[in-house]
Amino acid sequence: MLRFLVHRLFSAVPVLFIVSLVSFLLIWLVPGDVASTIADPGASAEELQRIRMRLNLDKPWHLQMLHWYGNLVQGDLGQSFLLNRGVGQAIVERLPVTLSLTAIALTLSLLLGVLSGVIASVRHGTWLDQSFMTLALLGLSIPDFWLGLVGIYVFAVALGWLPSSGFVPIDQSFVGWARSMALPALTLATTQMGLLARITRSSMLEVLRQDFVRTARAKGLPGFKVVGKHALTNALIPVITVAGVVVGILLGGAVVIEQVFALPGVGRLIIGAVLRRDYPVIQGGLLLLASIYVFVNIAVDLLYAYVDPRVRYDDR
Amino acid sequence: MTTTFALLGRRGPALSALTLGLAALALASAPVHAQKRGGDIVMAQQAQPPSIDGMTTTAQAARNISLHIWEMIVTRDENANVIGDLATKWDISPDGLTYTFTLREGVKFHNGKTMTSADAKASLERYAKVGASPFMKAVDSMATPDAKTLVIKLKNPVPGFLEQMSSPRAPAVVIPAEEAGKEANKIEIIGTGPFQFVEYRPDSHVRLKRFDGYVANTNFQKPDGFSGKKTAYVDTITIRFVPEGGARTAGLQSGDFHVLEHMPTPTAKRLANDKSVKVFEAMPWAYQTFIFNASLPPTNNAKLRQAIMAAIDAEEAMAISTDGSYRMTHGWQHPGTPYFQGDLRKELYNQKNTDKAKKLLQESGYKGEELLILTDSAFKNHNDTAVTIGEQLKKIGIKVNIKVTDWPTATTTSTKKEGWNAWTLMMGIEPYEGPYNVVSFFAGPGARMQVQDPVIDAAFDKLNNSLKLEDRQAAFGEFQKRVYDEAYVVKVGDVGIYQATRGNIQGYRPYRIPRMWDIWIE
Repeated sequence: MLRFLVHRLFSAVPVLFIVSLVSFLLIWLVPGDVASTIADPGASAEELQRIRMRLNLDKPWHLQMLHWYGNLVQGDLGQSFLLNRGVGQAIVERLPVTLSLTAIALTLSLLLGVLSGVIASVRHGTWLDQSFMTLALLGLSIPDFWLGLVGIYVFAVALGWLPSSGFVPIDQSFVGWARSMALPALTLATTQMGLLARITRSSMLEVLRQDFVRTARAKGLPGFKVVGKHALTNALIPVITVAGVVVGILLGGAVVIEQVFALPGVGRLIIGAVLRRDYPVIQGGLLLLASIYVFVNIAVDLLYAYVDPRVRYDDR
Repeated sequence: MTTTFALLGRRGPALSALTLGLAALALASAPVHAQKRGGDIVMAQQAQPPSIDGMTTTAQAARNISLHIWEMIVTRDENANVIGDLATKWDISPDGLTYTFTLREGVKFHNGKTMTSADAKASLERYAKVGASPFMKAVDSMATPDAKTLVIKLKNPVPGFLEQMSSPRAPAVVIPAEEAGKEANKIEIIGTGPFQFVEYRPDSHVRLKRFDGYVANTNFQKPDGFSGKKTAYVDTITIRFVPEGGARTAGLQSGDFHVLEHMPTPTAKRLANDKSVKVFEAMPWAYQTFIFNASLPPTNNAKLRQAIMAAIDAEEAMAISTDGSYRMTHGWQHPGTPYFQGDLRKELYNQKNTDKAKKLLQESGYKGEELLILTDSAFKNHNDTAVTIGEQLKKIGIKVNIKVTDWPTATTTSTKKEGWNAWTLMMGIEPYEGPYNVVSFFAGPGARMQVQDPVIDAAFDKLNNSLKLEDRQAAFGEFQKRVYDEAYVVKVGDVGIYQATRGNIQGYRPYRIPRMWDIWIE
């Protein structure tokens, strides 16, 4: 297991290098620069040039790239052009928002998605199955930004239960934090809930037809034990695989949700940086998201071994 | 809708001064509410500032914040004329070279220090290094003979110096001299304004609180533009950055926000009967333009540009792109301002003359080359104008291709000689500032139509160097004539915007930034 882990960690290095290289080149291929966002639409060429010189953007791109990698190997992600702070600090400040949003959404989508998938499979072919799967399909199909806006109008404007946007740090007020996270997390979770429900249902249906389930039933085990202990454990492998992918999708979805609900998270940081061409922040942010994605996938591989005793990495 | 100050759109070339005056009368006749101290106001705006170091950026999102914290030596009044803020008066020597400013005494910075001419001088010296506008290039030297006098000597007479120095575009704010040696974005946020800085959380908000040591300008009875006697009633202002328009409106309706910097026109109309909000139209806010690249075929051909100018139905483009918040005026300065040129070249505005256009097109020798219209997805007005005009041009036989990019791409592409034939741009702060930045946009080697025009350059020179106002006005007339005759740019029309508050906010008057002084919560 340890050998496998070390091997996977080392293999992540070239992946992350390629991600950073491609993102750097893409950024420099796209026209436009940060000066045009610092200035007004009507700023003169001279005003724009003054800003570029102040930010050292008048230097050739390859020198800037070498400088960036030079700093990176020393653990420095550089300085944001616009935020008056280091990229690392800007990301660290926003991580709690994105991580809590993603974690709550993942928990909600796993709990509700797996639960409804199990119920639908156990009640296969009934109205309950049909209802859950229709809802799952709806959840999958509705764009999250639209669902978010509808949620704001219903829960903030019409009912007045939740704030319309914004974020309250947990150390400031737990209730405030929970209220500010409720709508965004639920919105973000809805799509993935549908996906996980459908995956769980099809995986469960396959397992429930297996001989060992019939045997478990035949030896008189209660229904919930057959389903919960024997069937579900075996049906979880594809669910775990998808859950790893879901983390990536949630991180991507967080970008949209953070925009809609004006949450100061990493997604909004990166979107803002792209729109304003804050190159160091785009670089640092993408590297971070790619790292999270890579490490979640390593964790998923490790989870296989935990859930399925047949998988033992040291045997290879 | 309780519209205490609505400057209605589409009412023709009314004097902006008159409209503002009428609005003031409307305010005066409105029920009188006693001002109340206290409370917290949350204002929502779309963008976050690229910097909160006020002088380093020309972005609207930054102005909205910085002009609450800092004050300028001279600034603009309600009608955009130059007015003293930290300066009580100024004298200009007969040769136009020496400006002597007398500063208000006893003005306190947020750190308790008294502001003197040394702070003003140091601030301008910093502006010369990191300020976003180049007006300090004209300055030869500065002196501070005493604590309340600042003397600025120019290299050459620059009649527009005060206009440029007083522009809120990238405001030349006064900071403590101790901060003035610091690089851009490294200063402590300390000003003399009615509100002081508390915190900035990027992607979330900026929080300010009332500065109880604020020394108001007693030369005035009430606020006037960015100056006058400003009074902070509310305890705190939180300026939230909310990119999604629907979420901003929802926040205002639910009471999470008290002031919206900008509300889309359809939403403003939808909320017309909602008693819980007040909607204010600010007209004119900007004007919509359609700028040609006169260096790239086929728009390097003046006849073709004239054909396009003749073909355009500007009112259709304005009605669609602004959702109805517009007015049709041809002038490159707003009616009622000193440089407005009357009916000069009005006959070339909004011609929608297809026959003339087709004739000019034939004379131009146009052979079906593609006309590449550059626009962006960030501003609805830009995109809708491009699409509407594009469709109009197809009708006279021009092959149109519309290229939609994000804002930084569009604005950078527009500075190049390749990759576009026409570009849609809304100019807001430039006409508000006066004639200088409008003409400079089309003058010199960086002229945005990508060719240098000797007549416009001469007019710009005259505008910059003539000591007599009449000569400068005539120079602006030369500019207006030239851009119409050569069809370098089409003025499409004036654009209004809506600002909005909760129903319980009193004293609010729309302006170039939402002003949080002299408003209170009922």
